[in-house]
Amino acid sequence: MASITTEVLVIGSGAGGAVTAARLAESGHDVLVVEEGPWFDADEHEPFSLPEMVAKYRHRGAQVALGNPAVAFGEGRCVGGSTEVNSGLFHRLPDHLAEEWQRTYDIDDFDPATLARYATRVETELGVSTLPTAPPPSSAALERGATKLGWRNVEFARVFRYDEQGRGTKQTMSRTLLPKAVSAGARILPDCRVLRLRLHPGDGRALGARCERTHPDGGREILDVDADHVVVCAGAVQTPALLQRSGVRRNIGRGLKLHPTVKIAARFPHPVDHGDVPMHRVTEFAPHLTIGGSASRKGQIAMALAEATHDIDDALADWDNVAVYYAAIRSEGSGRVRAIPGLKAPLITYKLTDADMSRLARGLVHLGEVLLAAGATELYPSLVGGPVARRLDDIGQWWDRSTRSNSNLMTVHLTSTVRMGNDRALTGTDSYGQVWDHPHLHVNDASLLPDAPGVNPQAAIMTIASRNTEHLITSL
Amino acid sequence: MSPSSTDNPTAVITGASGWLGQNLVRALAPTRERVRCLVPDADSGPPLELIAPSVETVVGDVRDPATVDRLFADVGSAASVFHAAAVIHPRKLTREFFDVNVGGTQMVLDRARRAGVERVVHVSSNSPFGANPTPDDRFDEDSPYNPYMGYGQSKWEAETLVRTAHERGDVAAVIVRAPWFYGPYQPSRQSQFFTAIRKGRFPLIGDGTQRRSMVYTENLVQGLLCADRSEKALGNAYWVADTEPYALADILATVRRALEAEGLTLSGRGSLKVPRVVSEVAEKVDGFLQGKGRYSQAVHVLGEMKDTIACDIGRARDEIGYDPAVSLFEGMRASIRWCLDHGETL
Repeated sequence: MASITTEVLVIGSGAGGAVTAARLAESGHDVLVVEEGPWFDADEHEPFSLPEMVAKYRHRGAQVALGNPAVAFGEGRCVGGSTEVNSGLFHRLPDHLAEEWQRTYDIDDFDPATLARYATRVETELGVSTLPTAPPPSSAALERGATKLGWRNVEFARVFRYDEQGRGTKQTMSRTLLPKAVSAGARILPDCRVLRLRLHPGDGRALGARCERTHPDGGREILDVDADHVVVCAGAVQTPALLQRSGVRRNIGRGLKLHPTVKIAARFPHPVDHGDVPMHRVTEFAPHLTIGGSASRKGQIAMALAEATHDIDDALADWDNVAVYYAAIRSEGSGRVRAIPGLKAPLITYKLTDADMSRLARGLVHLGEVLLAAGATELYPSLVGGPVARRLDDIGQWWDRSTRSNSNLMTVHLTSTVRMGNDRALTGTDSYGQVWDHPHLHVNDASLLPDAPGVNPQAAIMTIASRNTEHLITSL
Repeated sequence: MSPSSTDNPTAVITGASGWLGQNLVRALAPTRERVRCLVPDADSGPPLELIAPSVETVVGDVRDPATVDRLFADVGSAASVFHAAAVIHPRKLTREFFDVNVGGTQMVLDRARRAGVERVVHVSSNSPFGANPTPDDRFDEDSPYNPYMGYGQSKWEAETLVRTAHERGDVAAVIVRAPWFYGPYQPSRQSQFFTAIRKGRFPLIGDGTQRRSMVYTENLVQGLLCADRSEKALGNAYWVADTEPYALADILATVRRALEAEGLTLSGRGSLKVPRVVSEVAEKVDGFLQGKGRYSQAVHVLGEMKDTIACDIGRARDEIGYDPAVSLFEGMRASIRWCLDHGETL
């Protein structure tokens, strides 16, 4: 059995793990990052394509939170985590939520001004910007429809840098903070899954982790990592599952939050682009309800059309004119992540309330309104059996068709399975992510957010992770 | 109430065929040039249109964008919207609360903004505030939200949508919070209320000292018109009820006197005395059912009967000139008369 020693072990290399590793390594600390997924060349896959999804998502993008209805979800499983596959929208945590969380969970040093300082640094480092050119047709459609209805809409900033020709490149972790960490001396081990944490049987402090490493030839070996500090950054599903497998259970895995999402595949009388994801968002109904655009390669379009009807041949033949859009809600329901002994994948459940189901139906209706206003001629909703809508009179029936059994829901934003703050009854860690009763064991990812942020969570995750790492460094 | 020179010539009323809506349409129809009414089904339109030539009806669902577009078609900006459509007792599932009370309100606010109307008067409820902590407590306009069950939560969310729309300049809005109504055009469920009291079978929970604010529909209509006319009202919420809250035992005794005055024979000995715990159990059962998405009106009403739900109308009096004219006894007599005139057996 191989073994390896490091000062700080960082488990996971996504938005949380990458910023943790970079900050620590740049402060002169010895850092080892272990990542379950593979390390791809940043240019190997076409962005937002199905091959990319198959390669970089856990279980090829097909996971599900069980419930009535179930919620399908995707999470990255590769070096860089979900930052490699998401749309790169970078939206700071709204101030009113920071204030509410600080109050409810009694979080130290969590005022909007403090968070803004960390957010600014991350934004500068990554390169967060709006388009230098006119928006692509799929995004312009949202802007046009919303403007026609008088609905507030905005082009969200993204973690993109643009060259002189205006070509943008998403600033994923594998292009930004991970290389920074490596050049400051951090080591990254891909294809290395953590089986369980090693904790001191007496005082519970972290000692390291037992991992299973997969070699390029398919051979596997057990690798024991000895570390002074362990920072778990495996995301809101894998982090609680790993903690539970390692015997850490208090307030771990409960309170899962996500942004349930409904979709419409919209057919326009003109071609729409498919290489990028719309950067415009309709914020008229925010924070409860946000409307935007999804990845719309041919594969995603086929799947979206097929949710509404079997009769998709005509629209699919015309796929160049079709794009997929979504409405996502802040949900008052919540869920749970449970590690099941003997099984690799945890059991994930989520319960949507009646208010959530109603808000999703409303989201679908508003999404239909804005797409018709944008000039779409056919709308395929994510409802089993549709119906497909062609004019405004057709969409009112979606209210009653949006039942628990007819709704196809998905999400890509999962948070809140550990939660940070001084209120021990509500949280799994202190105000800076140190796991209660386990010295030297930290969590630093989406699990810490006490609630769903109502916006794309990457900015909030990186801001909080950056803040927590700075705090950790002062104690090393 | 006499017309005012400042009244908008057009009124848009949602929930126009409902209990409050019927009273409101009759109050507005003689004086406004146009009263555009949303009704849920084709049968409800013609009776309203017979009231006056000013009444126009649009048939459809307040959640439906195409319907609400028709409701607001060409209303112009010199218009007031009275948003009274809501679900208070769902047929079966609690999701209706959210679909209609929240989704419908959002749809109306959006179209009101696009039409550029002068004002939206939103009809809210006591339910976003729960119950008073003691029988002597009164809700006022500064009381904190504490939504009671699905209905309370949905009406709370509707209020937040209205406030947001006002604060960000989409519409100029006023919220009117009305408690338990009584008055003409009551739904048939209300006849059972009179019958139960006449027969001495209405459950009086505990000692009957819990207080309830009630509002006679004519008083409420006056409150809505004040909210429409007052400059000072904009952006505010007001409690609109009868002058004072009543002890529940007094309500039942007054109704019995009113029934007698309208020539009905009383039986039983006042009311059915029920220990408070029955209402407490009913509240738990209601909470359990609603948690499963189910709704039972009888259980819900029984669960609320133990509580004091009382408000202070001082601010509506001082700021918008609301002055309730009809007393409980007179109002109950008029309601009973209306039932008898409409062939109800009490």
